[in-house]
Amino acid sequence: MSLAAEAFVSQIAAAEPWPENATLYQPLKDDQILLSDCASSLAVQTYLRMCGLPVQVACKANAEYMSPSGKVPFVHVGNHVVSELGPIVQFTKAKGHSLSDGLDDVQRAEMKAYMELVHNMLLTAELYVQWCDDSTATEISRPRYSSPYSWPLNHILAYQKQWDVRRKMKAIGWGGKTLEQVYEDVSQCCQALSQRLGTQPYFFNKHPTELDALVFGHLFTILTTQLTSSELAERIRRCSNLLAFCKHIEHTYFKDKST
Amino acid sequence: MSAPDELFCWEGDWGLPSVDTDCLTILAYAKFAGAPLKVHKISNPWRSPSGSLPALRTSKGEVLSRPSDIIIHLRKQKYNADYDLSAREGADTLAFTSLLEEKLLPALMYTFWMECKNYVEVTRRWYAEHMPFPLSLFLPGRMQAGQLERLSLARGHNALEAGEELEKELYHDAVECMNLLSQRLGANKFFFGDSPSSLDAFVFGHLAPLLKAKLPNGKLQQQLKSLDNLTHFCSNILLLYFPTDGRENLSHKASSQAEGGDFDHVPNKRRKQILSALVAVGAMLAYALFTGILSIQHVHQRAIESSPGLPADEEEEEEED
Repeated sequence: MSLAAEAFVSQIAAAEPWPENATLYQPLKDDQILLSDCASSLAVQTYLRMCGLPVQVACKANAEYMSPSGKVPFVHVGNHVVSELGPIVQFTKAKGHSLSDGLDDVQRAEMKAYMELVHNMLLTAELYVQWCDDSTATEISRPRYSSPYSWPLNHILAYQKQWDVRRKMKAIGWGGKTLEQVYEDVSQCCQALSQRLGTQPYFFNKHPTELDALVFGHLFTILTTQLTSSELAERIRRCSNLLAFCKHIEHTYFKDKST
Repeated sequence: MSAPDELFCWEGDWGLPSVDTDCLTILAYAKFAGAPLKVHKISNPWRSPSGSLPALRTSKGEVLSRPSDIIIHLRKQKYNADYDLSAREGADTLAFTSLLEEKLLPALMYTFWMECKNYVEVTRRWYAEHMPFPLSLFLPGRMQAGQLERLSLARGHNALEAGEELEKELYHDAVECMNLLSQRLGANKFFFGDSPSSLDAFVFGHLAPLLKAKLPNGKLQQQLKSLDNLTHFCSNILLLYFPTDGRENLSHKASSQAEGGDFDHVPNKRRKQILSALVAVGAMLAYALFTGILSIQHVHQRAIESSPGLPADEEEEEEED
């Protein structure tokens, strides 16, 4: 979303309350969605639950093409369509719902920095495992990604997506990494998060912030998703306080769904 | 460890030990950690062992080119600037490095490589002037293409056009990032107390070129200059760890200024002007003579004498057609 549009949206958004029929769109939950999209979607859902804003989840096969930025998930609230966690946080802030108001300047800087750490390392690692590890790409990512489409479109779209992701990896310098190095990066990232969390219930002590939602979204999805190798989840399990953190958030915000 | 590791990096200018962000980061880290590197400051990337700059050739003959790999290598050699940091501070380092990469780096790439005026007058000119002749013709353009591709892939849009909107978005993120850094630094000398760490090297590497380059379009630069503690942080590191580069630059600032103004200041200006005018006139005359626009006829003395009635000034005749 462009900046001018963003400013416009936040002006209008402030006037309207959060509607009851807000909808979050994501790819099909059982057959299609991939680890990275599922993690981002869970992060947004967690964030909205933390704010106490109701949202219905709608699964569409073409969610990726419906989104204004080409990335899932996105929310449809009243007359607005907003995609990805960062803009959604700004959007809810304009409506008067914010989780990070109680932080001071230094804490806010740290929160932003850790959110970028999750984007930069966890999300990139998820994409790498999905599309650059050949066995995962062949057995899981390509068939799932293309499941709603018929032959030959399914192959074309899946290979196109894989090609895009690989080019991106090359551009950001991850092209030459081995799977082992990527796992090592994930470990490093988890250790950093674990250190920052310490023994607190949330990253900034008693109150949840968007950082907690983002970290929970990614860690919980990695822990509960079956991949060809469980190495990614193993790396997270080594940090016991992160496991406790995930359980605690799941218990607090997803009690009704936890069957 | 017989021979020291060799580091190949871009030459310095503008009062910096190197003009490139990655090179600056590594140079600063090596200084902070006290690593004895043999530094080759070159301006021909083809002379580096990896074909790009920066590159580190270790004593075992390995070649590393990613800054994070080089820093990890130095750390393994016991040159660790982060030794005193607590685990929590180590985690903060990782987080703020990600913040720099995601938010500030795209805007820097835009300012130096995509913004037309800056690219033509500063970036391309600097690289073209410093590279040897045949490389200077195509390498700056190729470097730009690489940067643009990286920027567009990182943003996830395939079509990327330089324009108000893109600039605003990137600068918005970058200004936010600089504000966050400034708030995190506060009144400290370095990010984690009194001694510098790898995070200081990364921040210095990203901010110093923006601070010191003389950019014609300096919107982002202005923003940085308004954050006093970050500006002071950069100049402090330059003063403490790279005193020679700063001084060298001051001393040959005068000469470089004269060189820099090559287009306006030519020695023996008047003589060259007259010479070139003469050459031009000569060439035109030669052309006119050879193609027959102008012809010179020699009228014999005898012919003039035999016909005294004719005026003597018909010796030269101009025919135009």
